Amino acid sequence: MDLLLMTLTTGIMVGGIYALVALGWVLIYKCSGVLNLAMGEMTLIGAYVTLSFYAMGVPFLLSLLFSLIIGFILGILTERIFLDRLIGEPVLTVIMVTVGLSFFFKGTLEFIWGTDTRVFTPPVFSIEPIRIGPLIIGSVYLWSFVAAIILLVIFVCFFKYTRWGLAMQATADDEMAALSLGVSARYVYAAAWAIAFMAAGVGGTLLGNINGLNISVAYLGLLVLPVVVLGGLNSVPGAILGGIIIGVLQNFCGAYLDQYFPGGVKEVAPFAFMVVFLLWKPYGIWGWERIERV
Amino acid sequence: MKARALVVVMAVMMTAGFASSVSAADVVIGALNDMTGATSDVGKDYALGIAEAVNYCNDNGGINGKKIKLLQFDYGYRVPEALTKYKLFRRMGAVAVQGWGTGDTEALAPTVTQDKMPYVSASYSGHLANPAKTPYNLFAATDYSSNARATLTAWFDTRWPKHADFGKRKPRMACSYMFASPYASAPIKAIKDQATLLGFDIGPDQDVSLFAVDAKSQVLSLKDFKPDVLWHGNTTMSVSATMRDAYALGLGADHIINLWGFDENLPRLADKAAEGAMAATVNAFYGEEGIPMMPTVVEYAKKFNPGVPQEKRLSRTVQGWSNVLALWEAMKRADKAGALTGESILKQGFHTMKDFDLGLGGAKLTYTDKDHRVSGQVPVYEYKNGKFQRVAVVDLKGRWPDKWQSWLGW
Amino acid sequence: MSTTFLPCGEYHQNYHEDHAWWQTKFIKAKMVALMLVLFVGIPLVADEYWLSVCNQVGYTVLGAMGVQLLIGFCGQVTLGHAAFLAVGAYTSTLLVLEFPWPKLFIDAGLAYPISIFVAAIVAGIWCVLFGLPSAKVKGFYLILTSMAAQFITVDFIITQYISQIGGRGQAFSLPVGTIKIGPWVIDSDLKVYFMMLVLVIVIVAGVLNLLRSRVGRAWVAIRDNDISAEVMGINVVQYKLIAFFVAGFIGGVAGAFWISNLAAISPEHFPWFWSLWLVGVILIGGVGSIHGTIFGSIFMVVVMELLQMAVIPLASSYPKLLMDFLFIKEAAFGLAICAFMIFEPNGLAYRWWQTKNYFNLWPFSY
Repeated sequence: MDLLLMTLTTGIMVGGIYALVALGWVLIYKCSGVLNLAMGEMTLIGAYVTLSFYAMGVPFLLSLLFSLIIGFILGILTERIFLDRLIGEPVLTVIMVTVGLSFFFKGTLEFIWGTDTRVFTPPVFSIEPIRIGPLIIGSVYLWSFVAAIILLVIFVCFFKYTRWGLAMQATADDEMAALSLGVSARYVYAAAWAIAFMAAGVGGTLLGNINGLNISVAYLGLLVLPVVVLGGLNSVPGAILGGIIIGVLQNFCGAYLDQYFPGGVKEVAPFAFMVVFLLWKPYGIWGWERIERV
Repeated sequence: MKARALVVVMAVMMTAGFASSVSAADVVIGALNDMTGATSDVGKDYALGIAEAVNYCNDNGGINGKKIKLLQFDYGYRVPEALTKYKLFRRMGAVAVQGWGTGDTEALAPTVTQDKMPYVSASYSGHLANPAKTPYNLFAATDYSSNARATLTAWFDTRWPKHADFGKRKPRMACSYMFASPYASAPIKAIKDQATLLGFDIGPDQDVSLFAVDAKSQVLSLKDFKPDVLWHGNTTMSVSATMRDAYALGLGADHIINLWGFDENLPRLADKAAEGAMAATVNAFYGEEGIPMMPTVVEYAKKFNPGVPQEKRLSRTVQGWSNVLALWEAMKRADKAGALTGESILKQGFHTMKDFDLGLGGAKLTYTDKDHRVSGQVPVYEYKNGKFQRVAVVDLKGRWPDKWQSWLGW
Repeated sequence: MSTTFLPCGEYHQNYHEDHAWWQTKFIKAKMVALMLVLFVGIPLVADEYWLSVCNQVGYTVLGAMGVQLLIGFCGQVTLGHAAFLAVGAYTSTLLVLEFPWPKLFIDAGLAYPISIFVAAIVAGIWCVLFGLPSAKVKGFYLILTSMAAQFITVDFIITQYISQIGGRGQAFSLPVGTIKIGPWVIDSDLKVYFMMLVLVIVIVAGVLNLLRSRVGRAWVAIRDNDISAEVMGINVVQYKLIAFFVAGFIGGVAGAFWISNLAAISPEHFPWFWSLWLVGVILIGGVGSIHGTIFGSIFMVVVMELLQMAVIPLASSYPKLLMDFLFIKEAAFGLAICAFMIFEPNGLAYRWWQTKNYFNLWPFSY
């Protein structure tokens, strides 16, 4: 019972982190229809920028703010330089550009920050866990979870109530129609990348606090793919729910299945689950179902 | 467009490069290092150590007057890349190679045997120490299996007697490592054998990925077993994640760690969870006092890589030095004996070394044509009160002389 | 109607003629010349290193051909094709190393050729298995399903279970002399080269033929619009699965071929990066073109070799730059891909087509 409860909470908390990274991913897809394979590197950029400021002695929250500003600028630049010219190109070309971008970002990151593991010193979050009854929760995880929920609320409100949010939804739904209504698709795309960069930065920063930063953290960018698919590629709440489901699933597989299938179950379970799930619901939990016409 | 311009630039650089290529008197050594791949957190420092040590060799006479020319490549910890880079070394006339990972070294073993190319690697896998199978694979350090045995023994000797349950029950041991990683899983058979020998209860293995960010579920499933000591087989990142989770979830076990998971980064990442961790490091730590060659190592690090801050240097530098100095010595001996070929480096070089001290705080090196394990004596270190200190030198060969030979090639 | 040159303008009167292989004597002569260069010229000129580069190109062509088929002709995007190469390579290796062959087979050198065939079939079936979701799932979701194929196959099944067979652990060693075709032991780059040529030619000819058959036309229809294809009476699911089978089959051949060039195989030979790489090859070469696959393979392999060679002289002159240069190289490679996609989205095959057209119409190119 204790194990069950612990596994469940751990799963939910880890899921919070996945959800944060997945959010940025969904945003880009939702607004510009781009499957972004450079997400892992974007996460790292945000984290490294925060870390650099923090290492200079800037307070943590302030460094995070700086990182968000830089993320915003980088997002707009990336969209302007690379993605803007590709509007209307085949999907695959765009995906490949994001692959190229991921190499570019990775090389640049390694050039600037090197490949050794860096940590936030002094630690931002205490290593001492928070105890609630029988539950033990690491404080980083708790904060990530809180951050994910806060961002969720912000984004849902943004898409529902602000002009920009509505414009983004409209562009995603039908670019032509949105253009004819006077929405500037180019601004929308740029904004989407900027916001995605920022969300990834928050996720990366929290991630970096758990276990230090190095280039292999970008691997997480891949791990969130099942998360977004599960939630539905263009659903913000779906990303959060998907994150939690995958987090819980992973931990349950680790705790209960590992003895029957030794090795690697935890890593592969999300992907296996994703395939089976898609057979049942081909558009994820809350993804848009497109009705196709000839 | 851009790609084409790039090609032109590259082609120009290429031709410029070949013009100034190897002069006849040089001796070429290839080095495969990981500076960008999965193990680059430790691999980069090792690579720096290799380059600095080669400079040192050249400053001190090279190989009886001949300069060593080092071709150092990054292969990103990818086996296929290693295979192609190795072919390139062969083409460029390398007489010996400094390698890196376990996967690629084991994969290349049959080929280097066929080519008679001495292959000194940073993979100290026990499987590579049996000359009957892999005659051209060498390393200037005690192998992973001996290290694991020695660390467990050191824990058993120093910590277990102080435990509250000492004498009341058997000690309990469990292993946490990435099953699929050739490096992490190399000493498993050995450490379990040693645990049985010392009378441990062995718990279920836990699979923790080299990229793991958390290992909570693994720690949770160990909680029922309540191990007294947990062996970690991965590299620093993932080991520290497991240790932090073990600390947070109150596992209460001591930690013993495989070589590449135990260095100056561990306390930085694991904070106080690192307190009391033990491992068999094959050399002294970087900048450690009282090691004869250490001032030279530090001097060369400052001289050739002033851009890398001293506090960032790891004990990996020293490991790089060990492998280079051992190869240097072997090559000097082979050259004196007449020929500088792969076969003579092995037979007139390495196999003539007996209790050879590199001065880097590691074991004294002895190679024979029957056994490439350098020594039966393994120094074990511990992280205590913010410092790494040597706790014991475990003499496996002296303690189990009848078994030592049968442990070859595990 | 065997003329030396096709007259200016197109004079084909039916589909059959339009898709005939040997339309003019010139084409025949061109092919003979190409074969001469490939079978005689290159082996005479190239040293061992450049032969190995050629082999790599051949491997990339074989690997990318399946991807081209799926993406370029059937419209099913796959980002996990390395998985099927892995299945082929491992099946073949296991058969060669572990299967209790009768002595007769080993002496006659039949073990490896048979294993290639079996490996291709197994990889094809495995590919169909992961193609099944394509019946229901489309677009991005399908892309992600194909990625799952990669992680489930390579990172889980092969790494964790298949690799443990025979107690070798990770790497399956293939000492020289294990791979044997008939009387020839495949032990040098030259022999691998000839084997590669034969396989590439057979596969390219096979795919070209398949594409001008009923199956190929059905694929193209599905690619262009699967709903209208269905309306036209094409069994979409069935033809999609056939495409997956053929793609997996070719992938299996590629994997099984490549083990002849390796001293050992490990799961790391088939990382996700390689799947991306294969897609990059066809994008740079040109989607929907067999020429494109070949051009793309040559371009990608040779550029990477040149980049690598550029590092060597730089490393000797500026040792301190070495480490940073690697990162610059990586970043430059990424930028090059982006630039290619942005400025040359139709791929090299399009340029080839333009050049050819220019000469076809010359001197009246308007």
